[in-house]
Amino acid sequence: MDDKFDCIIVGGGIAGLSAALTLAKNNMKFLLVERGEFSGAKNVSGGVLWGSRLADLVPDYWMQDAGFERYVRHRRLTFLDEQSAFSIDFKSDHFNEQPYKGLIVLRSKFDNWLAGKVEEAIAESSFPEDSFIAPNILVDKILMEGGRATGIKTGEEEFHANCVIIAEGVNNLLTRQVGLQSDYVPADYMATGVKEIIRFDQSVLEDRFQLDGNSGLTNEFIGYASDGIEGGGFLYTNKDTISIGLVLNLKSMRENMSQDKKIYDVLTHFKSHSAVKDMLRGGEVVEYSAHVVSTGDERALPKELYTDGVLLAGEAANLLLNSGKAIQGMDYAMESGILAAESVIEAKEKNDFSKTTLSSYRKKLDASYVMKDLRSFQSAVQFLHSEEMFTSVPKVVNEFGRSFFTVDNKPTAKTPAMLKDAVSKHSSLWNMIKLGIKGARSL
Amino acid sequence: MKFTVCIKQVPDVYAPLQIKNGELSMDTDRMVLNAYDASAVEEALVLTEQHGGDVEVVLIGPDKAKETIRKALAMGAAKGHHIHVEDTHGLDSAAYASILTAFFEKNPTEVIATGKQSQDTDSGLAGSMIAASLNLPYAANAVGLHIDGGSSLVVKRQGDTGQEMLALPIPCLVTCSNDMNNPRIPSLKGIMASKKKPVETHTLEDLGLSLATVRDSVKTSTISYQEMPAREAGKKLEGDAEELVSSLMNLLQNEAKVI
Amino acid sequence: MSAILVYISTTGGKIKRSSLEVLSHCRDQATKNNMELAAVVLDNDAAAFADQLQQYGARKVYTVSNPIFKSHLNAPVTQALLQIIEQVNPRVFACASTEGTKDVLGALAAKTGGAALPDVANFEVTADGVSALRPVMAAKILSQNTASGELVLVSVRSGSYDATESPTVADVTDVAFTPADFAAVLREVISSTGDKVDLSEATVVVAAGRGIKDEEGKKLIDDLAETLGAAVGASRAVVENGLFPATAQIGQTGKVVSPELYFAIGISGAVQHTAGMSNSKVIVAINKDGDAPIFQMASYGLVGDLYKILPLLTEEIRKAKSA
Ligand SMILES: Cc1cc2nc3c(=O)[nH]c(=O)nc-3n(C[C@H](O)[C@H](O)[C@H](O)COP(=O)(O)OP(=O)(O)OC[C@H]3O[C@@H](n4cnc5c(N)ncnc54)[C@H](O)[C@@H]3O)c2cc1C
Ligand SMILES: Cc1cc2nc3c(=O)[nH]c(=O)nc-3n(C[C@H](O)[C@H](O)[C@H](O)COP(=O)(O)OP(=O)(O)OC[C@H]3O[C@@H](n4cnc5c(N)ncnc54)[C@H](O)[C@@H]3O)c2cc1C
Ligand SMILES: Nc1ncnc2c1ncn2[C@@H]1O[C@H](COP(=O)(O)O)[C@@H](O)[C@H]1O
Repeated sequence: MDDKFDCIIVGGGIAGLSAALTLAKNNMKFLLVERGEFSGAKNVSGGVLWGSRLADLVPDYWMQDAGFERYVRHRRLTFLDEQSAFSIDFKSDHFNEQPYKGLIVLRSKFDNWLAGKVEEAIAESSFPEDSFIAPNILVDKILMEGGRATGIKTGEEEFHANCVIIAEGVNNLLTRQVGLQSDYVPADYMATGVKEIIRFDQSVLEDRFQLDGNSGLTNEFIGYASDGIEGGGFLYTNKDTISIGLVLNLKSMRENMSQDKKIYDVLTHFKSHSAVKDMLRGGEVVEYSAHVVSTGDERALPKELYTDGVLLAGEAANLLLNSGKAIQGMDYAMESGILAAESVIEAKEKNDFSKTTLSSYRKKLDASYVMKDLRSFQSAVQFLHSEEMFTSVPKVVNEFGRSFFTVDNKPTAKTPAMLKDAVSKHSSLWNMIKLGIKGARSL
Repeated sequence: MKFTVCIKQVPDVYAPLQIKNGELSMDTDRMVLNAYDASAVEEALVLTEQHGGDVEVVLIGPDKAKETIRKALAMGAAKGHHIHVEDTHGLDSAAYASILTAFFEKNPTEVIATGKQSQDTDSGLAGSMIAASLNLPYAANAVGLHIDGGSSLVVKRQGDTGQEMLALPIPCLVTCSNDMNNPRIPSLKGIMASKKKPVETHTLEDLGLSLATVRDSVKTSTISYQEMPAREAGKKLEGDAEELVSSLMNLLQNEAKVI
Repeated sequence: MSAILVYISTTGGKIKRSSLEVLSHCRDQATKNNMELAAVVLDNDAAAFADQLQQYGARKVYTVSNPIFKSHLNAPVTQALLQIIEQVNPRVFACASTEGTKDVLGALAAKTGGAALPDVANFEVTADGVSALRPVMAAKILSQNTASGELVLVSVRSGSYDATESPTVADVTDVAFTPADFAAVLREVISSTGDKVDLSEATVVVAAGRGIKDEEGKKLIDDLAETLGAAVGASRAVVENGLFPATAQIGQTGKVVSPELYFAIGISGAVQHTAGMSNSKVIVAINKDGDAPIFQMASYGLVGDLYKILPLLTEEIRKAKSA
């Protein structure tokens, strides 16, 4: 059949677009289908694309008018209790080197930009008129014949391909349809993210957050931010807005949140903390959005990442790591998208799209930092989920901060005594030691 | 019947926008097919599907605007004309109309269809300007079209107090309202077919014009942009129907004093 | 002396209020700039309006009477206006923005070589032309525009100015007019029935949106409108589904209104709708979704079911009116 594709990609998020760019550069004939009006139209994300992989896909992207907002130069991790904020703060000129190690992005813009790069690559490939990005089309079904995928169905139309990359994101309906994910992923392994975009005068933003040119700040929050619910907050600086939000565990929300409360109320609570309020003053909320997000728990991973004629990439496979110091979903999506495409290219060379050949994808991914980190940081993920992390730890830290930084006309205790005192007020020493050991091991 | 639809690429009015030093700045560079022009394309497609004929589209704009031509081709138009003007900054309806007039003098058609207005500027001038320059009969704000025999186009237009049915002899021009139809969303097959359809590029010089002559035809300019004066935040009332009505009555009578 | 020529639209034997608004503003502009104020009216019996135009300060009135103006057709209107423009040679041609004037403004500009500024929210005559504010981007922002040249044509959104009288004695000219042979043929005029109060002139508007699901809901709207003596407006959603006539549509594609009191009932408040009503003095919104964007611009927002609220509200208003 002439109009058969080498590959059909479902989903024009970061995983799908990265796969598409890789396929286009390697002269594959493919179709990428995105249900949104354009790539990025439906994508919510707090917004740091970690790592420098983008530079492999789009060399020297920083020389062009790229789709990112700012690069990460300044990082901060803040523990909040009712009245105080205790931060670990790191800013480095090393982060100025290109390629950057972290990009703050707004997905509606970044994905659209990346889709433009795919279009350019298609135009230069051997299939300028036969490879496509098709927006505004919902894939209803993966066509299966004798256990192997042969194409997709959308509305009444069917399209055929040697293989399908499912990059549909976290609502993995098609992943389930092809039998790679169990029908029911427990809420324990899922979280929900909310985000607001708040606009400032650009010079106000740059002054307030000490930004220079394109440089940006990322700030994660633990404690008061999540109002007793497992999870944390984030704040990222865009060009003239900030993204502020929360990622909260669904199970913990169910258990700890009163019925009449909405996730939006938790965000309001977070924003009302005086340290946060100071950062937001004078800003105007221009957008609000909410989205489900994986927690990065290994137990939520699909049974397998491939089968005959099918590869899973990005959050469709729940590939995500939330280690507390960063959420890594987009870089995992990019890496897995690229590796999936590489396996398709190899399969095309062998003209064999069976499971056996496609298993090379699993091998590549296992060998990459994605699976390595996902495995070795499982304990960090669990650690982060221990209740102390979002309840007593922030209190202890701030109690300590308060005594350490308070200078008063009274005799001052020595630091270890202050620490001991802080711990005993909010937890037990034994608990903290246990937690400390666990934390040190896991990170 | 041969239809040529004038289509414009406009910024997405849903994308967040702001004013910086009097200049308009959009958060995304998202550009879309003018909604009114999409309705014009749709109607032309429906009519030619019923009665035979061809639909072509013409667009003035930069290279990037070709994606909008593709969109119309994906809907079903047979051919695109791209009048390439990379820097359209400052061009007004009169300038676009003068280019399109020159285009139609060289590329005659039977029915010229335009949008009733551009979604971003709401000018609503270019259509009747082209018709007047070409001395064509026209109707503006069409909400329905049909073909009567082979020689006239029957237009239902929305007027101030009702609708008027007009018969326009061909060749003619019609400006289309989006109330005419709901434009189809291109199917995947349509999107795929669109890449193989011809898009002819015309330069201003091909049309006997130059950027300088076009800039001369500009009659109006935008000096700056400013915020809409904000409405004062009002009162939001909640409660059961009785409470709501009695509070509202009180406010309308004693605060706003409009009843 | 250079002149401002105001094109006066009539409907049902009356001058449109929006035309008088423009005429009043142009009178101020003429005085300020030492220009002459002229008005032109096209109608079956145009002379009948001359008196009222003098009341509003027109110093020269051109009346063009012809049965062809009984219904709207762009070709004779354009022909007649071109004839008057040639005769008066104005620096500024102004009119109210209506479907009738939108139909001809571009053609007039093309034929005269003048500059056109359509749908302005306000304008000033300047030394070398006109400076105006226009709502753009679905009326989310305003753009400051200028037009220069020998002739500038402007159309003005209704409600932008107050119509105020300033009687004078005008020079009234009945202009002889012979319609040319027009290519377009008017086959039929389908007027919307049931428009008891003209929407663009109304001081109270009751507008319905998709929250109105059926004839029963429509009746609730009609009852409220009748009790208030209001005109009925609609969002595109309920024009599309056939519950309300297209002439009732308010917004970017429809009409612009600016009444004293506007009821948005079961309307979410999409920018394309609010583009046509945001200048209303008092806005009452009734919507069961407390997060509907319309509440951000409503003077009084009622969160609740319109089917429960409207009967009570109509009853209360009826009582208040009869008291
Ligand atoms: C609030 C929040 C904050 C976050 N912050 C970060 C962060 O700071 N850093 C980070 O790395 N990650 C972050 N993440 C996670 C990150 O957004 C995701 O992991 C990432 O977007 C996954 O990329 P993807 O390409 O796999 O899926 P997606 O980006 O979800 O893309 C999937 C695409 O497929 C399309 N699609 C789905 N089904 C179909 C269908 N049937 N037919 C056609 N198209 C379909 C969708 O429209 C979508 O465009 C955050 C997430 C949330 C919710
Ligand atoms: C180029 C363009 C031009 C347009 N021009 C116009 C225009 O001129 N005019 C226009 O109106 N639109 C226009 N639109 C369409 C516009 O975008 C919206 O789709 C439209 O205004 C929506 O109408 P609505 O508010 O009635 O419907 P919806 O958006 O569906 O809102 C219905 C509302 O009713 C509420 N509701 C439902 N049931 C009840 C109940 N029982 N009690 C109380 N509340 C209830 C709901 O909560 C909801 O908020 C245009 C669109 C485009 C693209
Ligand atoms: N750049 C352009 N290219 C093609 N058609 C255009 C362009 N600008 C305006 N038009 C057409 O003219 C109509 C009215 O435009 P406007 O006068 O800008 O409101 C649009 O709906 C289009 O059909």
